[in-house]
Amino acid sequence: MKKSSLWVLAALAAVLVAGCQNQRAPAEQAVASAESTLTSVRDAAMHYEPDKLQAVDAQLTGVKDSLSKGDYKAVLAAMPALNTAINDLRDTATAKQQEAQAANDKAKDAWGPMSADVPKMVDAIQSRVDILSKSHHLPKGVTKDTLAAAKSGVDSMKAAWGAASNAATAGDYSTAVSKGQAIRDQASQVMQSLGMTSS
Amino acid sequence: MADEKNPPADNPYTQIHVVQSGDTLSKIAQKYYGDAALYTNIFEANRDVLSDPNKIRPGQKLRIP
Repeated sequence: MKKSSLWVLAALAAVLVAGCQNQRAPAEQAVASAESTLTSVRDAAMHYEPDKLQAVDAQLTGVKDSLSKGDYKAVLAAMPALNTAINDLRDTATAKQQEAQAANDKAKDAWGPMSADVPKMVDAIQSRVDILSKSHHLPKGVTKDTLAAAKSGVDSMKAAWGAASNAATAGDYSTAVSKGQAIRDQASQVMQSLGMTSS
Repeated sequence: MADEKNPPADNPYTQIHVVQSGDTLSKIAQKYYGDAALYTNIFEANRDVLSDPNKIRPGQKLRIP
């Protein structure tokens, strides 16, 4: 081969290498930026959009694999789709997080009156159960089974109230109110079974 | 939750009985507890309005613990 041809080939090779190296920095920066955005929303995404997060992680892994192999062209080609996926994940996870926070704030308002009210219901039932337990007979409409169910009901309501209170202490008012409402419903039924409605 | 924290007087869920003509605490206890002898529970829960367990009058609102 002529020397001039060799020189041309060498020059072409140099241009190719330079071209690839020119894409390296943008590819690395693009991946770093995508990772940074994903890191900032990862906690919310894990909680509210775990499936989407898993898909985005898989996409990112693929892009980083291309980067490690020096296929910068493939990295840059894949970045628009990856960025769209990350942005969508960020938007939906953030929206769900804000919805949950708003619901929790609303539940916090409901918790105040409930935390005063429900214990009083249970105490009233406990008082009646204690007195009926001393009775030689039971009032009309109340059987031994009814009384036994009420006793066990009071125990379960107290345990459930403990769990509700713990949830409220931890800031999870949505759970606290949900549990509290279930106790309130149970207490209403027990009161009815014991004939505790006012005449 | 404890009775001492929510005595009947302060508890809006304590049942209320409106005394009718002919009522006695024993009859009221019989009605709600199945046992007339437990009338003392009603008397104790209403010490703020009853000084004598034998003296109740129609229209009075009594707490039934």
